[in-house]
Amino acid sequence: MNDKLDRQALQRHLDQLPPMHPERRAAAVPMMQALQIEHGCLDDAAVEEVAHLTGLSVTEIDELATFYSLIYRRPAGRHVLRICDSVCCSLRGADRLLIAAENYSGVPLGKISPDGAFSILPSICLGLCDQAPAALVGDEAVGPLDEASLEALLQRLREED
Amino acid sequence: MEAVLTHHLDINAPLNLQAYRAAGGYRSLNAAFDRKPEEIIETVEAANLRGRGGAGFSCGLKWRLRGADAPRPRYLICNIDESEPGTFKDRHLLYGGPHQIIEAVIVSAYALQAEQAVIFVRGEYAKGGNGLRRALEEAEIAGLVGTNIGGNGFDLQIEVHVSGGRYICGEETAMLNAIEGRRPNPRPKIPRPSVKGLWGYPTTTNNVETLVNVPHILLNGAAWFHDLGVNGGCGTKLFCVSGMVQHPGLFELPCGTSARELIFEHAGGLAEGRTLLGFLPGGASTAFLLPEHLDVPMDFDPVAKAGSRLGTGSIIVLDDTTCPVQVTLNLMRFFARESCGFCTPCRDGLPYLAQILTAIAAGEGQAEDLALLEELSDIIGPQSFCAFAPGAVTPLISSLQGFRKHYESHIATGRCPFDAADRNGA
Repeated sequence: MNDKLDRQALQRHLDQLPPMHPERRAAAVPMMQALQIEHGCLDDAAVEEVAHLTGLSVTEIDELATFYSLIYRRPAGRHVLRICDSVCCSLRGADRLLIAAENYSGVPLGKISPDGAFSILPSICLGLCDQAPAALVGDEAVGPLDEASLEALLQRLREED
Repeated sequence: MEAVLTHHLDINAPLNLQAYRAAGGYRSLNAAFDRKPEEIIETVEAANLRGRGGAGFSCGLKWRLRGADAPRPRYLICNIDESEPGTFKDRHLLYGGPHQIIEAVIVSAYALQAEQAVIFVRGEYAKGGNGLRRALEEAEIAGLVGTNIGGNGFDLQIEVHVSGGRYICGEETAMLNAIEGRRPNPRPKIPRPSVKGLWGYPTTTNNVETLVNVPHILLNGAAWFHDLGVNGGCGTKLFCVSGMVQHPGLFELPCGTSARELIFEHAGGLAEGRTLLGFLPGGASTAFLLPEHLDVPMDFDPVAKAGSRLGTGSIIVLDDTTCPVQVTLNLMRFFARESCGFCTPCRDGLPYLAQILTAIAAGEGQAEDLALLEELSDIIGPQSFCAFAPGAVTPLISSLQGFRKHYESHIATGRCPFDAADRNGA
């Protein structure tokens, strides 16, 4: 078990589980989200802890963790940038943005930039088609972007830390 | 036309409880509590409010079919898992007016006599989900949500669930699994969720745009709702227009407004000198329509008659600098990636289609590939477990029909004819 895990905070998710949910398993996703906000991703110890608290097996929790695109089982950069690659953003230049992002960060999409500042991920439609081509920085929407504004954004994220 | 659903929306500064009430918000609660639940359902059915999430099923009929004597507890789920490419209307509703959503959930739950409601928000809208939670807290403190609401003896608990991601969670039965903490595969269609849904109890799921119409129908009546539409449509519709138009955006207009008006008046038309190649009328999983369909009223039945679906009412526009093979490939890659992987025709079939399209788009396709794409589509759609794969092959089949000569030219010349042009339209 990982000493860093805040068991009390996790237990609160169980305690606060609305009575409409008769089984503890309903708290699995909210717990994983809380752990990720705290630690950046879910390591094996975190998965074991969620399994323990929800009464599910480690395999069942891992099945959920790996199914969901917004739950990470590996560390990510300090900032996560999701660039939409679906149809509307693609029509308005997302393909070029993805190439520019890779060139700027110097690592393939999905990898952490060498300075640890960011991870850049392609994403399904973000519901930002009216700002295409668009992206999310954490939970904040940005767009429309071009290569220059994307590089300026990455530069800013890098300098923020 | 006066905006109904977008009247108070402000994405940057949504109204808090006090301001929303001052603007007339939550008035529909009294209108609801003054009536019997079955009267409300009759009114919603008479208004011909059809599902705004894509299926277009009558909301009132869905509610009535669940049955007034359904066992308890009963659940209402408000679907804000908007992930259909081209669709961003629910984001505006969520970020711009959380109290409008809570009001709609309260009166809809009252009509259904459901004591539990879950508002399911896609994970990419987590910030909007937080805003909704804050609004819910305000409503709970004010006694609008909880026990004995308005002294009327009606109890309602509302939970905001923010998803972990993935398109399939928006499917009604996959969402039930997601809420229960199970892998979000779709469930078998029988028993229906209205009989055995969340935790095995009667569950009614509606898209958020559908639900936010309900308070207005209660306050103004079914006839008023009918009169809002044009060309036979009922109510207003939140139309999204994106892609190769000058001003992509959200437009609340009468249901039944033509695609021509949406694209050329409201979204500013195409860039100078461009012509329309075609458009998707209702998001990524609908069939392409062509310039000859521009005057079709954007309403459920007329769009179906034209060979497509109104879907989410989200128009994605292609102009003559857009390679339709590339666009179709992008759609297929989306669906191949988002398949939940539960059934084989979908999990293995969609990547196969994407692979063939990749070759054609790159000028490496073979003459027999087009027949192969059609044959595979005919197998994959009907043989798969849920509606996802049929939706995935729909734009492909229509693209092969409507843009045939573009496919043939890629294969015949061994290159993409749009490569020379700047298809990104910068």
